[in-house]
Amino acid sequence: MVDMPRQKLSEYRAKTIISKALELPYKGWSVDIEAPLPAQLQSAIEAGGTFALKVDQGVKGRFNQGLVALNVKAADLVEAAEQLKSKGYQWLIVEPMAEHAPGDERYISFMSDRLGVMLQFSASGGVDIEKQASSLQQVRVNDATDWEQLAQKTAINSRQLQQLTQAFLDNYFAFMEINPYLASENGLQILDSAVEVDDAAAFFVDSWQIDDFRSHSGHDQTPEEAVVKELDDNSPASLKLSVLEPNGSIFLLLSGGGASVVVADEVYNQGYGKQLANYGEYSGNPNAEETYIYTKQLLQLLLKSQASRKVLFIGGAVANFTDVNKTFAGVIKAIDEVADKLQAAGVKIFVRRGGPNQEAGLANMEVALAKHGLLGAVHDPDVPLTDAVKEALQEVDHE
Amino acid sequence: MSKELDLQNLEPVIISLGSHPGIIQSMLDYNYCLGHSAPNLVAIVSAGRKQERFFWGHDEIMVPVYAKLAKVPEQLRQQATGLLNVQSARRVLASMTETFELLPNLQVANIFAEQVPEVHALQVAALAEQHDVLVAGPASVGLLVPGVMKLGAIGGTQYPQLVAANIFSGGDTAVISTSGGMVNELIHTVTGAGLGVSFALALGGDRNPITTPAQAFLLAESDQRTRQIVYFGELGGDDEYILADLMKSGKVTKPVIAYIAGTVAGLFDQPPQFGHAKAMAANQSESAQAKKEALRTAGAKVMDVFGELATDLSAQAETGSHQAKPHRPIKQRSKAMIVSRISGDINGGVHLLGKELLSVVNENSLAGLDISLLLGQQITSPKVIEFSDYILRLLADHGPYVSGAVNTIVAARAGKDLASSLTAGLLTIGPRFGGAVNAAADAWLEGAGSDTEPKAFVAGFTANGGIIPGIGHKKYRIDTPDPRVKALTEQFSNNSNGDRYLKFAQGVEAVTTSKKANLILNVDGTIAAMLLDILESELDYSPDKLRELVDIEFFNAIFILSRSAGLMAHYLDQRRHDEGLLRLGEDDITYIPS
Repeated sequence: MVDMPRQKLSEYRAKTIISKALELPYKGWSVDIEAPLPAQLQSAIEAGGTFALKVDQGVKGRFNQGLVALNVKAADLVEAAEQLKSKGYQWLIVEPMAEHAPGDERYISFMSDRLGVMLQFSASGGVDIEKQASSLQQVRVNDATDWEQLAQKTAINSRQLQQLTQAFLDNYFAFMEINPYLASENGLQILDSAVEVDDAAAFFVDSWQIDDFRSHSGHDQTPEEAVVKELDDNSPASLKLSVLEPNGSIFLLLSGGGASVVVADEVYNQGYGKQLANYGEYSGNPNAEETYIYTKQLLQLLLKSQASRKVLFIGGAVANFTDVNKTFAGVIKAIDEVADKLQAAGVKIFVRRGGPNQEAGLANMEVALAKHGLLGAVHDPDVPLTDAVKEALQEVDHE
Repeated sequence: MSKELDLQNLEPVIISLGSHPGIIQSMLDYNYCLGHSAPNLVAIVSAGRKQERFFWGHDEIMVPVYAKLAKVPEQLRQQATGLLNVQSARRVLASMTETFELLPNLQVANIFAEQVPEVHALQVAALAEQHDVLVAGPASVGLLVPGVMKLGAIGGTQYPQLVAANIFSGGDTAVISTSGGMVNELIHTVTGAGLGVSFALALGGDRNPITTPAQAFLLAESDQRTRQIVYFGELGGDDEYILADLMKSGKVTKPVIAYIAGTVAGLFDQPPQFGHAKAMAANQSESAQAKKEALRTAGAKVMDVFGELATDLSAQAETGSHQAKPHRPIKQRSKAMIVSRISGDINGGVHLLGKELLSVVNENSLAGLDISLLLGQQITSPKVIEFSDYILRLLADHGPYVSGAVNTIVAARAGKDLASSLTAGLLTIGPRFGGAVNAAADAWLEGAGSDTEPKAFVAGFTANGGIIPGIGHKKYRIDTPDPRVKALTEQFSNNSNGDRYLKFAQGVEAVTTSKKANLILNVDGTIAAMLLDILESELDYSPDKLRELVDIEFFNAIFILSRSAGLMAHYLDQRRHDEGLLRLGEDDITYIPS
């Protein structure tokens, strides 16, 4: 399992797939800035001419953020790449420069939803498409679609429009944007494109794979988040962790996709949002080893936090099939290992959980927490989930 | 989704695609606790075994397992109204497509798998619509209709959880949730407040749940038991706007109490992805706050704090009519080590094939009892018993020359005891001696079953360099036939009405003997063909059931049983002579120095 059900493809891979579907040649290079540059760019340099370099990491508004270098001469390629590297990115796409008048730029996108594929297009494409929202037209594609009429509106011939739609479906795209494109006598010319795929479909396609996913998180991943991501990628269960405030005072060890949000909401609703250190959840019945590793990461973050009063809330709804005793065994093991440090930091731990083997799981947890002097409270489902959260919040200062 | 679906009067007959023992057991437990007379789960579709053991209350039952849905008997497929799908995400589209074709009376289904591709979920949704089936999922713990059925993990997977959830009797509050954990939490909240649940439905946290919140609301509106709807939704998507429209337009008139999770998203710079695939707000209108407002405007009671739900429900408990209903309890139970369908004690007395030992003994001949034990059912057909009796007599001995007898004799002369000497002989039984009956049955079943021409069948075997089991003899040839085969043929013609396997085997013999005179249909091959024919024509064994007999090596059992008498006879005979150790002489061995 990977983080998100929808993933951004590298522009390089997106264009390769789209061009192939349109039976058009594609000339471009995908460049990993962390690998030696000259070797990767050698063939481009030899090809000569001028180039466009763009950060290829799923970033929106690249042009306005200065993440694009245009009209770069072959001799200056390496230097231009080095400059983009200094902005903190890893992946670039390098293409021969295509000259055109800005006024020729058009926009088209494909989106899938419950009713099929929705096309949006505009004759005023380009970097400021958001400002041109009123120029966007919408058409839902189906068996009754008049392709010729659509071809006139988009200036893409009907054959290519149908090829694009087919490529969108065949490759399990969830979103496909070509912005801008140029319409010429020879057909469509793609300048920039962005594609999101449904990662659950990885098994069914060979045109893209997990290596082609590009994401750029708002901050650099902490080592703890990286460990949990690795854990999640290699487990049939789901394990997620994101740090919100490294020096937060409220740490959450939550189970369940729905309940975890309810608990986080409660912290926020009670006015403790700024002190919330993390969001995360495990679900799908992970084994004790997985919850051990997960808890260990969370406790490391907790111990690193500079907040003066810290609380850990371990909680979830009444599980249907996740074994409370088994998952808690891993949690307890991780707590045992750093119990002295937790006690020294004055941390109190509050628990509220239900599900298979909850009696044994909650009893073991209570014994362990009491032994280490960490016990805040341990509750079964007779205490409402959000009441238990409120109780834990009493431990920290209201902001 | 079914327009006529009446949850409260559903008669659940459930098939499981894939096996998840915890979920299935909890469904059976719920079923049992309600006091129902028989399990409503009738079949499991899974590879690698024929039956799976579960508890029905305190007794163990065997649920039949079929390799494919198409292999489930037609009658069960016609009866099936419910489906549990616990297969992997990859198989969901294919298996659901097949399900809609093969289960014409299906009404409700649950898809458990997470990570089903969005497009696949949408295709299943279209099929579900077309076939009028309510599908909970993907990534759903299922559907609970208290007093009627638990389909999926919903409500818990252990008996104490079912008791704690207090869900054996229904009430007037429908629970609809995108989250599996929260559906269970809400069930507890509702019953904990003194109300009861009319039905609980986990839609699944995917972007495209097959049953939408809107469809679920309409189901609650039409459900006669439901007075009000408790709804758990999340940020992301626009479902709540559709719900609001339904309420405003009067299509949903029952009161709605809702919690929309995800106001915490306001803390993040970039729109975050929470635990569920759906839970990501792409724009302001998809935020929890905006959707809460939309529902409020439409008249729903929307809670800002989840805990207020419990308070609100408790306040109205008097208007509800929920009484905790006594259920049939389940006490401590443990799995037996072994299941037997042959024999066991009932009230301290040994029973065979369902009857008290002595009455079975008194009512059966030896052959009748033996064939009944080997087939695992009391056989009453005189033709089958007579034919079995004949084979058992025919195979008892074939002289001291044959490999098995020689080994028994060698062991006996070496001073070994009866059991050791008998096993020395039995251990010789294999593909070249006595043990080809089963392999031959396999070949005839395959050949005659697939309507292969004997010539093509032989060509297939020789192309793979194999020898055909049941064909060929060391001693007998086409011109000097095995007298036993002739005798069997006579006996068979008296006792069987069908002969398609024998005809096929003889067709194969016609091809092989045209190549080599000793490639005759031997006694193993003949018995195999005749047994297949007689089981099919006299006992109505289906090809699948015959295949099962081949799989468990039934066809070799008759030879081993019969020949055991002969081998023991040779042992006793040798002990009477007591000649001492048998040792081969120099002439018996040709030594070729290397």
